[in-house]
Amino acid sequence: MNRTIVMVTIISGLLVRPVFAQTPVEILASIQKEAGSGAKGFSAARGETFFKTKQGGDMSCSSCHTDNPAATGKHAKTGKAINPLAPSANAERFTDPAKVDKWFKRNCNDVLARVCTPQEKGDFLTYLLTIRG
Amino acid sequence: MNRNILVWDIPTRLFHWLFALSFAIAWLTSERDEWLSVHGFFGYLMLGLLCFRLCWGAVGGYYARFSSFLYNPAEGFRYLRQLAQGKGARYIGHNPAGSQAVYLLLAAGLGVTITGLFTLGGEEQQGAIVGVVSLAAAKIIKEGHGLIAKLMLLLVFGHIVGVLVESWLHKENLPRSMVTGMKNAMENTPTSKPYRGAAVLLSALVILFGGWWFSYALQQPAPLNSKAQVAFVGPQLATDPQWREECGSCHLAFHPNLLPARSWQKMMAEQDKHFGTDLALDVATRKALLNFLTVNAAENSNREAAYKINRSLNAAESPLRITLTPYWVKKHTGIAKAVWNSASVKSKSNCAACHLDAEAGTFEDAAMRIPH
Repeated sequence: MNRTIVMVTIISGLLVRPVFAQTPVEILASIQKEAGSGAKGFSAARGETFFKTKQGGDMSCSSCHTDNPAATGKHAKTGKAINPLAPSANAERFTDPAKVDKWFKRNCNDVLARVCTPQEKGDFLTYLLTIRG
Repeated sequence: MNRNILVWDIPTRLFHWLFALSFAIAWLTSERDEWLSVHGFFGYLMLGLLCFRLCWGAVGGYYARFSSFLYNPAEGFRYLRQLAQGKGARYIGHNPAGSQAVYLLLAAGLGVTITGLFTLGGEEQQGAIVGVVSLAAAKIIKEGHGLIAKLMLLLVFGHIVGVLVESWLHKENLPRSMVTGMKNAMENTPTSKPYRGAAVLLSALVILFGGWWFSYALQQPAPLNSKAQVAFVGPQLATDPQWREECGSCHLAFHPNLLPARSWQKMMAEQDKHFGTDLALDVATRKALLNFLTVNAAENSNREAAYKINRSLNAAESPLRITLTPYWVKKHTGIAKAVWNSASVKSKSNCAACHLDAEAGTFEDAAMRIPH
């Protein structure tokens, strides 16, 4: 009887817990790998500057994600609410490599009109991981 | 020897005032789409009241029975002529001209409510007779609905003028009699019974119906900015998790029924310059999205907005913006600039600012609220 209850509890616990493909730290590690050994170390300070500064065009990351990555953002054009970007505030972030690739590609293109370098991506994620929700 | 007797039983009086009230509110709420749920409620109420009155005309109080005022139109006109000469006799129940008004109002009431049901079933694909009338046929029925309502308003005015003339001519307050039920009459005049039981039953039914109709408003979570909470809930439309994810990240996931299939084909073909952004969708995603979008496109939908958007386009046009379709433009003219610029709206693509069911894609008339 007791064992049944324990088993049911464990199984339902597994079902309720969201299963993510990867953790943000693993994503960061694969960006590190992409950057290769020649790259300088990732810096949260550089990432923060990158996040908040307009990159050539009239937009920065913070145009939509706000200056606080743990806050709910707002699409600059459509006004649609954007869930927080920092993993501490939104456990879903940086857990699906395909999604991470898609959004880096799209948003770097919109903000910088080019792809981001692994160095930029690494700094960016390092900064986001320092944010405490 | 004159005395006060009961002429109008309680159910007849209840019917009279509820019917008048229903017609007045239905008339006033016909102006704006967003009041459709209230308009519809009073339409159904009128139909129910009419059914009651037709039965009551057979079994009700003495003066409520059709048998007590079976006059033909010729007799009605003769009475009007006598009235014009100041010689109209005083009747305790309905006089011959008033009887015609009763019959015509009952007939017009049936006509207006039944055409209303068909309009609701056709244009909105809602209500008691969904699926019987096509969206195309609903247009004609809706015009008939409006015409009968206007005739009915004329009848109401005729009835009110008649009541005022009679009241003045015979020095009695007829509107008050319809409230108290009492009239001054000679000895030996037949009297009515109050029928309290039937009145309680009728009131209970009206209250129950109203409670049922408006109760789901309280169950729904309160949408943003809305005051009145009563909205028709549309049917569950086709949805797809991939579509919601891919199309709903940057903007509202506009339901495929808002544009024709050719627009979606163009949209997917040009996904690398989607309103200035390269969506970079892979081939498999593009294919899956396009399939969902075309299967559920405007021409395959039975929703009013879908049908009318599609109808407003000519076949050579494949607009990518819903806001450029002629139907959209027509429906949104007259909305003040201040509303568009208000913080909760901002963009014309922000359907959900006013349409409570924008996410669901149903765009029901009654689910629309202009924020204040």
